[in-house]
Amino acid sequence: MRTGRDERAHVRGAQRGSVSDLEALFRAHWQRAFRAAYLVTHDAGAAEDIAQESFLAAIRALDRFDRRRPFGPWLHRIVVNRAIDWTRATRLRSEVELSESLPAPDQPAEAGSEVLAALAALSPEHRAVVVMRYLLELTPGEIAEALGIPRGTVNSRLRRGLDALGDEL
Amino acid sequence: MRRELEQIEIPGEHVARERTWHVVESAFSERQPVPRSSHWPRAAAIAVALAALLAAVASPPGQAVLDEIREVVGVERAQPALFSLPAPGRLLVASDAGVWVVQRDGAKRLLGDYREASWSPFGRFVVAARENELAAVEPDGNVRWTLARRDVRFPRWTGSETDTRVAYVDRTGIRIVAGDGSGDRLLVPRARWPLAWRPGVAFQLAYADRRGRVVLVDAETGRVLWRSRPDGTVVELEWSSNGRRLAARRALAVDDVAVYTWRGALYTGFRVRRGTVTAAATRPGSSARAVAVDGDGQSRLFVTGVPGSLLSGPGAFEDLAWSPEGQWLAVGWPAADQWVFVQDDGKRIRAVSNVSEQFRSRSFPRIEGWCCAP
Repeated sequence: MRTGRDERAHVRGAQRGSVSDLEALFRAHWQRAFRAAYLVTHDAGAAEDIAQESFLAAIRALDRFDRRRPFGPWLHRIVVNRAIDWTRATRLRSEVELSESLPAPDQPAEAGSEVLAALAALSPEHRAVVVMRYLLELTPGEIAEALGIPRGTVNSRLRRGLDALGDEL
Repeated sequence: MRRELEQIEIPGEHVARERTWHVVESAFSERQPVPRSSHWPRAAAIAVALAALLAAVASPPGQAVLDEIREVVGVERAQPALFSLPAPGRLLVASDAGVWVVQRDGAKRLLGDYREASWSPFGRFVVAARENELAAVEPDGNVRWTLARRDVRFPRWTGSETDTRVAYVDRTGIRIVAGDGSGDRLLVPRARWPLAWRPGVAFQLAYADRRGRVVLVDAETGRVLWRSRPDGTVVELEWSSNGRRLAARRALAVDDVAVYTWRGALYTGFRVRRGTVTAAATRPGSSARAVAVDGDGQSRLFVTGVPGSLLSGPGAFEDLAWSPEGQWLAVGWPAADQWVFVQDDGKRIRAVSNVSEQFRSRSFPRIEGWCCAP
């Protein structure tokens, strides 16, 4: 289990230019970042792009990063917000697309999971809250801060999300 | 619940991780770490520097020093205004005020508050984009038609004397419309990247997808003719004037510039060892390319077949544009607020200063194209 002290050391090392410290941060956080993006977007290609862009954004901001803060929540906040934006934009596009178009390249295979199917029935905002709470293990207060919404809204979305998941499952 | 979420299988997860690590590592290796000091001395240093700067500006000798600093960045004896272009043709320029057409004699006309534009194939029209509108405009400012679309980008016009198409990107993806504004339709959903029509061939469009692949598509049928291998992010696409070579400028990639044949084979590629390619332009009538490279804060301009660099200076060079006959190259130089016109052999250089002010712009104006004489 990675300790906070280890992580701070890796952040410090990465800030000084150490590739091995950056790789340690990457290996520790990429999978959750990618998975969170996938569970919100339900698109493996988009999830890869979002996780990649989020790490690149983190690198660009590395020199300004406050080492006293944990790296993971900071990264996950970027990931989830980008995933919500992507899902909203895709939903908007699907309403206005014309029929005469090429099929989208590289459609992901069906994951076939009941949980995944149940999540798909939720709005991206509800999916994001469920993913942040149960995959990324953020508190409702942290979720509220990350998404810029009141804590009460987080709780109500969690409740409605879990109710809907329960019905589907 | 957590276990359920962690057990969901995601296609290609392992490959995606390694692909991402490759990109992240490349980006990291190009980053220059900033030495960190404690917060107090840094804040104090900033305060002292600001105070010193204010004091310097307030005094006449200080103002003279600042003027001197400005003068050493840029080409000496630059003209204070764009009195004329060194070669036939007209420039298309985008500034904060909008899109402008500049005639050879230096006369400028503001076409409207558009944010980007490009020439039609014979220079009879300009296709321009503002946030929620695509417009076909004559160079005298007369608007021929408009199309309301959301978040319009990358308008590009192609075709023959009798049949033309405009490609552009909006929120839905890449769209195509006939040159008279009719028949607007979606060609590629979800694409938001650079576009380039293949010259001389009926309606083949190159674009870059979100995976960093270059794709050539038949815009009439929607059939994909080829896709390149993915590599970083494509930031610019440009065909040679004969339509046989396609150059892709990339970021975070193995090759900073990759050149493909019209059949999609990688013809050549190169990577700058120390620095970044900030602009590239293929010379009309040939496959020679001009490339601007920024390394360690110093930029240099190279042209294929010409030994050494044609121009160098602090800050990045941007917006390379060849004159229509291919003998002069316009170079945007934001750090000096200058445009520099360089002859193809580097023997003659003309510079124009105060570019931003001339185009009523706070940001540095972009050269969108240098097209044919009317």
